[in-house]
Amino acid sequence: MIDQALRVPPPRPADHLQNEMWVDEQIWGHRLWDTQSPWLLFLEFLSVAEAKRRDGMLLDERGQLYPLQFRPNKRMGLRNLLFNNESMSRTAARLADNNSAWSEWLQEMHETAQGVSPPDFTYLRSHFRSFHQLELLLALLRSSAVESDSNRRWTSRFLFPFGPNALYEDLTVKGSTQPSREYINFGRTGELLYMMLCRADCANALRPCLDRFLAGDNPWNTLVGVLQPEGDQDRSLREASYLPYRRHSAFDRLGEDWLAVCRLQLPGFDAYPHLVTLSALHVALYQLAIAADQCATTRPHFICELVAPRKTLVRELSTMSYLDNAQLSRRAVESLISGIAESPEWLDAASQSNAFSLCKTILQDKVRWPRAAHPEDYDGPEDPARLLGDLRTNASNRHRQHAGNIHRTYGGGAGLVSRRGTNRLRYAPNDGLIKALVLANVQQRMEFGQFLATLFNRYGFVFGEREAERVLGKDDLDKRAFQANAERLERRLATLGMLRRLSDACAYVINPLWSVGQHDRG
Amino acid sequence: MSTVGINWIRFLRQHGPLSRNDSMYDEQIHRLARRLGVSPLSFEHPLERRLLGVFSADGPSPVSVVLTGTAGDGKTHLCGKVWRHVDGDLAAWGSDEQYFTKPILVGGRAVTLHLIRDLTALPEHDEQGRYADKASLLQRLARATFDTSSTDVFLIAANDGQLLEEWTRAGNDDRTVAARDLFERLLVEDLSETAEVPLLFCNLSRRPCSQLLDLALDALLTHTAWQACYDSAEPEGFFSGNCPIRRNYELLKDPLVRSRLRNLFELCDHSDLHTPIRRILLLLSNALLGHPGVKDRLMQAGDIRSIVAAGTTAKASLFSNIFGGNLTDTRRESLEIFEFLNRFRIGYETSNKIDNILIFGAADDSLRPLYERLLASDSFYGADEWYRAAQLAYIESAEEDDGSAATFLATLVAQRRRLFFTLPDDLAEPLRLWDLTMFQYAGEYLARVLYPLKQNAPVERAILSRLVRGLNRVFTGLLATTDRDLLLATSLSYSGARVSQILEDRIPVTPRLHERIALVLCNDRPTLSVHLAENVKRILGLNLTRYEFLSRVAEGALPGSFSRECYEDILAFKSQVLAALTERRRAEPPQGPQPLYLRLLDLDPSGNAIEQPVEVLND
Repeated sequence: MIDQALRVPPPRPADHLQNEMWVDEQIWGHRLWDTQSPWLLFLEFLSVAEAKRRDGMLLDERGQLYPLQFRPNKRMGLRNLLFNNESMSRTAARLADNNSAWSEWLQEMHETAQGVSPPDFTYLRSHFRSFHQLELLLALLRSSAVESDSNRRWTSRFLFPFGPNALYEDLTVKGSTQPSREYINFGRTGELLYMMLCRADCANALRPCLDRFLAGDNPWNTLVGVLQPEGDQDRSLREASYLPYRRHSAFDRLGEDWLAVCRLQLPGFDAYPHLVTLSALHVALYQLAIAADQCATTRPHFICELVAPRKTLVRELSTMSYLDNAQLSRRAVESLISGIAESPEWLDAASQSNAFSLCKTILQDKVRWPRAAHPEDYDGPEDPARLLGDLRTNASNRHRQHAGNIHRTYGGGAGLVSRRGTNRLRYAPNDGLIKALVLANVQQRMEFGQFLATLFNRYGFVFGEREAERVLGKDDLDKRAFQANAERLERRLATLGMLRRLSDACAYVINPLWSVGQHDRG
Repeated sequence: MSTVGINWIRFLRQHGPLSRNDSMYDEQIHRLARRLGVSPLSFEHPLERRLLGVFSADGPSPVSVVLTGTAGDGKTHLCGKVWRHVDGDLAAWGSDEQYFTKPILVGGRAVTLHLIRDLTALPEHDEQGRYADKASLLQRLARATFDTSSTDVFLIAANDGQLLEEWTRAGNDDRTVAARDLFERLLVEDLSETAEVPLLFCNLSRRPCSQLLDLALDALLTHTAWQACYDSAEPEGFFSGNCPIRRNYELLKDPLVRSRLRNLFELCDHSDLHTPIRRILLLLSNALLGHPGVKDRLMQAGDIRSIVAAGTTAKASLFSNIFGGNLTDTRRESLEIFEFLNRFRIGYETSNKIDNILIFGAADDSLRPLYERLLASDSFYGADEWYRAAQLAYIESAEEDDGSAATFLATLVAQRRRLFFTLPDDLAEPLRLWDLTMFQYAGEYLARVLYPLKQNAPVERAILSRLVRGLNRVFTGLLATTDRDLLLATSLSYSGARVSQILEDRIPVTPRLHERIALVLCNDRPTLSVHLAENVKRILGLNLTRYEFLSRVAEGALPGSFSRECYEDILAFKSQVLAALTERRRAEPPQGPQPLYLRLLDLDPSGNAIEQPVEVLND
């Protein structure tokens, strides 16, 4: 069970009136949102971090674990320029003359820009003499947009995070009204990620690295700044995310991986894709770790298959491993509810004469359901057993809609879960994930057997026969299947340029980017 | 009739790809040689002299030696030589004993030599009570390595993986852990000694195998027993005019064949493929004696008569045997040496020119002279009647699924292999010899890159330009033809992106100030070095695969097609050069506020890279 001393007291119900009940949030926090892709997770995190840095509180909660309050940028002017600007290319193609192009386009923008007042872009003329050069630059910046192939509304398209000038929150705008915050693309999991890093062991060590990313000391950030009017200070207060634990080993592991990647001092923004992958992975691992704690079972493990041309035993085991873990979060929810049903408090109340109203009060206290303001939450007979049954059903349905999908969507986003080569989901790490794992865990080099052991100890990944033995036991373990699996991993690492084989018995995993940053050191 | 010749063949056969137990191989071979009355193949290992010098009375001060490598590298053999050199007990050496000690004199000092013949086979506890357990013995060595006043000197032979594993198990005290870390570093970084400790670390796997091939061939081909074979020739049988063993032996002596074989081994060296001596001898034995239709697929003297009578001598072709063509698929794939040589895909790669000669040469007037010269002249393994019949059947067959097509195509493989080894040097350029292999630029690599570099002469400018062009295409992701500068391009978000269109800088090939690009020899390997400033440079090792990759990309292939690993390597190199650029900029004096200035890369119609500058004013 979860150590109560590490729990953060829950927020007041009044802060979360939109929540139908308080079950998933109790266990994992408010909230884990499944339709947020790994890059969006990272961008949400960055916009929070940037806001906190502006307040001088980067990665430092200063003891205030709830609420997380911050004022992120909106940057509607920039976003209109980049993503709500179809007329520009038309004008540039039609009019070769600089002055007439400028006046026509400025006029159009004045009429069509949304969410920014006053809609005045004349400041651009003083920075960019040539209209066509500006158009070229904007096209270039637009091509760097994150996940540009997904069909989102223009207010939910995001520039590559070059620096603070390029960071903003997810908004929606209708007509000429003020833009408002909708929690669909930025679903608050990025805020949870921020809090996790604040509470990791190595937060202090991580702060200077993050500070460097957010300082924006590069020409792109300056360029994006020049594209915006001075004094774009429109910011609203955001709050109400909740992470239920003061400390947890999952936070520490997340922080260690981030720190390892940052320490490589990769050029430019090369670290970002790896941080994105690792963050998605660790959020999925966090959910399973907490679920395992709640159910009081052993730490989850993941039997990973390196995609083989034929179906192998490891693939079967991997599929089963996936199915086992997929049920963990649901079991955690049930365990919470069963905990209530078996608590002395409930049993006592159920034996009283006004059992129903007593039980209902207990539930409202523990899971904020059924809500007093919403009589439709429960309209069945006044029977505590039925009440509990309905709670179970509703909680399970609600869980299945969002928080229950985290394992699949974040696992898939990180590159761990996939259907490649088969029609069922299982654990098959792709190249991006393998690369990120090597960068985070291997310094200069590491013997291959030790690498497999590290992956097992830190994440629970099973590739080779030794780890399989620890998880599946000695009897009917097909050693050769796992040996072949480990060999495939070796070959994959060799193709990625991350393995050095000395002889049959001896192979070393190499981190080829270890020395890239070393030249710049001291 | 003397049986020396027959016994010699029997002895040679034992070196071939027979299934047997590989442990104590060296001793088995010596015993067999004594039993058959032939002298074993012997040559001086390149390291032998140095090694013996280390354990001589007039040598330098005492150092311990670790001999490592894979099975078959000759570690036990060298240990035996050292043991004889210090007058060790030869009878004991002939037993199963693994650990030997003897007081000797080295560099004027009296020390105790501890010789461990095979670290893995060393028993955990010693029957003679000379050491308590394996771990304590290893700890003693660790102390001897770091303590210069120690009177122990060790010579240990162990496979590389097991060397490290045994040491990890030997304990956790400082010295042992330090020794293990030292060995690991020496192993992975390919060093043989360090200034800090009196230790000679010889990784026999790192010897160039072309050098070992030369030694092995010399010892094999000049062996006295061959004369005995000539002397005991039987008519229509062993070592007669039709004997395939004799034919193979004579072919192997041919300088052209030998030089082509050596080229293949040199290329293996430059692809970082190592093969131990034992496997080289296996290859040579198989090359001489291979035939798919005899017992164990290796010929004996007694088989010749029936082979000649059946007319299947062509199947014993030296040229097919070199690639393991006489063996079953599984056996061939399990032997590393054949797997390496088959990576060149000789026999399966070809060009139109060559195939035209092979298929139509007999009939076509313009091709006939070449056909006569290259194929018809060799009735043994070249165009014999059987070949001509299959060729005719192939050309004139009406139906598609006639079996004749398959047999002829199989013969073509054998003929291409033969052609690789026998195409005369004067025809190598016009007929493009290396198109018969997977590495079309391998010939150029050997003759126009490696050879001049070894003579300290500069490499032709055209080759350097081609490499730079290949790099530019990978760096930018565009089909650029620029070859006078190296384009350091990046994309907005990710320096390893496929298409990079922001130009950071151009490094000229011709030296300008401190910038230049050059091809130099580094650790006996050709490398490309990019100099950005006086103290700032990055190097890219050019093994065969990378050279082939860059050359192909320069001539139009897509970067993703030939080798994914190479592509990733080159992108990692780009990352390193970009980091070097940042390093150089940091060392330059700061220049005050600058307007924001970008160079966008584009290509003109002929593929030259042109820059479109974009400037942002900060008013």
